[in-house]
Amino acid sequence: MLQTYSNRLLLSVVCLAAGAGLGLRDAQAQDVQKGRKVFEQCAACHSAQAHNGVGPSLKGIIGRQAGTAPGFHYSHAMKKFGKNWDASTLDAYLANPQAVVPGNVMPFSGLPSAEDRANLVAYLGTLK
Amino acid sequence: MKKLSKKTVVIVGGGLAAGLVSRQLTAQGIDVLVLERGVDHREGAEAQLPSQRDELRWDVRQGLIQNWARETYTARHSSAETAVPMRWIEAFLPGEGIGGAGNHWNGHTWRWGEHEPRLRSYYLERYGKDAVPAHMPLQDWGVNYAEMEPYHELFEKLFGLSGRAGNIAGLRQPGGNPFEAPRRSEYPQKPLEATEAGLIFEAAATKMGYHPFPIPAANSSGAYTNPDGQKLGACQYCGHCERFICEAQAKASPQQLLYPMLRQRKGFEIRTDAHVLGVDYDRRTQRATGVRYLDLKTGLSYEQPAEVVVLAAFTMSNTKLLLTGGIGQPYDPATRKGVVGKNFCYQVNGGVDIFMKDRVFNPFMATGCTGIAIDDFNNDNFDHRGLGFLGGSIIAANQFGGRPIKSRRVPPGTPAWGTAWKKANADWYNHAMSLSILGSCYPDHDNYLSLDPQHTDAFGQPLVRMTFDFRRNEQRMADYTGHKMLDIAQAIGGDALGPLNVQVSPFDARRYQSTHITGGTVMGADPHTSVVSPHLQHWDAQNLFVVGASVYDHNSSYNPTGPLAALALRLGDDLLRYVKSPGRL
Repeated sequence: MLQTYSNRLLLSVVCLAAGAGLGLRDAQAQDVQKGRKVFEQCAACHSAQAHNGVGPSLKGIIGRQAGTAPGFHYSHAMKKFGKNWDASTLDAYLANPQAVVPGNVMPFSGLPSAEDRANLVAYLGTLK
Repeated sequence: MKKLSKKTVVIVGGGLAAGLVSRQLTAQGIDVLVLERGVDHREGAEAQLPSQRDELRWDVRQGLIQNWARETYTARHSSAETAVPMRWIEAFLPGEGIGGAGNHWNGHTWRWGEHEPRLRSYYLERYGKDAVPAHMPLQDWGVNYAEMEPYHELFEKLFGLSGRAGNIAGLRQPGGNPFEAPRRSEYPQKPLEATEAGLIFEAAATKMGYHPFPIPAANSSGAYTNPDGQKLGACQYCGHCERFICEAQAKASPQQLLYPMLRQRKGFEIRTDAHVLGVDYDRRTQRATGVRYLDLKTGLSYEQPAEVVVLAAFTMSNTKLLLTGGIGQPYDPATRKGVVGKNFCYQVNGGVDIFMKDRVFNPFMATGCTGIAIDDFNNDNFDHRGLGFLGGSIIAANQFGGRPIKSRRVPPGTPAWGTAWKKANADWYNHAMSLSILGSCYPDHDNYLSLDPQHTDAFGQPLVRMTFDFRRNEQRMADYTGHKMLDIAQAIGGDALGPLNVQVSPFDARRYQSTHITGGTVMGADPHTSVVSPHLQHWDAQNLFVVGASVYDHNSSYNPTGPLAALALRLGDDLLRYVKSPGRL
C-alpha cells in the first residue's frame, strides 16, 4: 500500500519535474495542501524561497544533489552523502534523518507518519 | 570627545523596547539612532547549530549575559548595611547585543491584570482606605488598561503569540484564563502542545475546582507571518530558550522580527559596541541635549546630540543614567522624598518537585513556555480580607527543557554526590515534574536603587546599589500561595514530593529565581512621586523619555514583557506627536 502510494508520488513528482504539472488530479492537489501544512514544522529553519536560513533553502530540492544548496554551510556528513533528493531518498531521510545521514546536524527527529511524509514530499515538489 | 551630527531620536539600548519604539517612528519617516553596547549575535556561535545547544557556554557560563567583571551591582538588605559588589548574579539576567534580553528570554507574554495599572486605587476601592499599608508606595500609572489594550493587541500580532483566550470583550471563553483582562480577539496562534506534566497538573487543578489554561507564549506553535511580513515557523521543542538565542525562527525575538526589518528602513541606524556613559542634561532649559558613549571597539568617546533621548536599557541602567546625569531627585528612604530609584521590586518565586515512577515526562521536549497555569490565587482573584497581605501568584506546571547539566531532580533524602546520587539521577530524570509559583512583589519604602558610594565599574562609573529584601507582604504571600501549590502537588500524589521551596528573606542574588526586576524610574500622574509621566516623559526634562520595566510601580506575578511592549509601542506613537509639536504630552 505504502509502496504504491510512494510510486504514485514519485510519478507525480517526475511529471512536475518534466513541466507537465497541469495534469494534477484533485487528490494530488490535496496532498500538496496537506504537505504545505506539514511544512510548518520545517519553516522555522527552511525557506521555500531562494534564501538559506538555519537550514538550506528547499527551493528546487527535488532533483538536487544533497549538500549542494548554494551558499549553505553543510555538515561533513551531508556533503559526503552524495545522493540526489527524490521522493524515495527524501521519504527515507524524513522518516529518520540520523539513520539515513548519520552525523548530519539537522535537529529534527523525523516524521513518523508515512502519509505526512508523502504529502510533504508532494509539497516540496512544487518548490521550483 | 568628538561631537557627532544631531539625530532626531536617540535610543539607549537595542532591545525589545527600542525595537518597538523604532518600528512606530521609522514607519512615519522619523530618523532614529539606537546605541547598543553589545554585538550583533546573528552570525555568532550562539545562533548556529550545533554550538547553539551548548548548555555550559550559554547557560552555566552566561555567554549572552552582561559581563559581571565589567559591570555589576552591589547588594544589601537594608539601608543600615554596607553593600558589597556581586561577582556573579543569577537572580536576573541583563542581556547584551542587538535584541537585548529579548534574545535569551523564555517567551512568557502576559497582559497584566486589568486593575494593575491602577492597583492603589483598586485596593482602596475594594478593601477600604486602610487597604494599602503605609510602607507600601503603590501608585497608579495614570494610564488604564483600556488605553493600552490596542497596543497589547498589536504586539501579540507582531510576535505571533500562541495561546487560548479566556475573556474576549467580557465573554468567558472555555479553556482559557477566566481571570485575564478582556481581549478584543483570540490569540494569533493556537496554544503550544501540552506536556505530560501540564496534563497531570490540568487534571488535578480541574478536579479541585480551579481553572487551568495554557500560558501565552511567544514560542511559535505554527507557521506565522506577522503584520510586517516577518515570518515564524513552528517550534520544535528543543528546550533551549531561556539563556539561548533561538537559531531558528521559532521564538519571537527582536533580533528576529524587528531589527532585520528596521535595518531596511530609511532613517534607521543602530550602532553596536556603543556603551552609553551618560545623558547630557541642561538644567537651565530642563532638556537632555544628547548622550555620550564609548565605542568599545576603538576606545574612542563620542558626543551624540539629539532632539529626543529615550532610555530603553535594562531596568538598572535606566535608573543609573538618571542618577549619574543628576536628572530628577534621587529617592531618600529616610525622608521618603525623591523619586529616582524608588519602588525597586524583585518577583517572588517558589516550587515543589513531584516524583512519579510510572509516568514518563520527556523533560527535554520543551519550549521556554510550555506550561499550564492557574490564576485562582493570583492578583485579587481571591478574597484577601484577613490574609494580611496583598497580591498573589501564578501556580503552574512549566517544562523548560531537561538539559543535561542543570536538570537534576532527585527525591528528598538523595545524597548530594556519589554513586547513590548518580543512580537517583538516572532513575528519576524521566519521572519527575515540578510545580512553581511566580508571585507579585509590591514596593516597600526600604527597597530601592541608588549609586554605590564606593565601588565602580570598568569605566570608572559608580555601580548601582540594590537595597532589597522580601518584606512581610511578600513573605506572607509566598507562604500562602506556596501552600496552595503544595495542596495541588499532594493531590497529584506520586511516589515522593520534594520540599516546598519558596523564596524567603534574606534575598540572595546568587540564586536563580524569577529573573524579573522592576522599578527605579516609576511612571505616574504626580511629579512628586514619579519619575516619568503617564506618557513616559520625564517630569524634569521634556525631551527625555524612559521605557521598560523600570517604569512599573510594582512587580506583577506575571512576566514583565507584555505591558513593557505595549507601553513601548504607545511611546512610539506619542513620540510622533512630540517630534511634530514638542511640549508636555
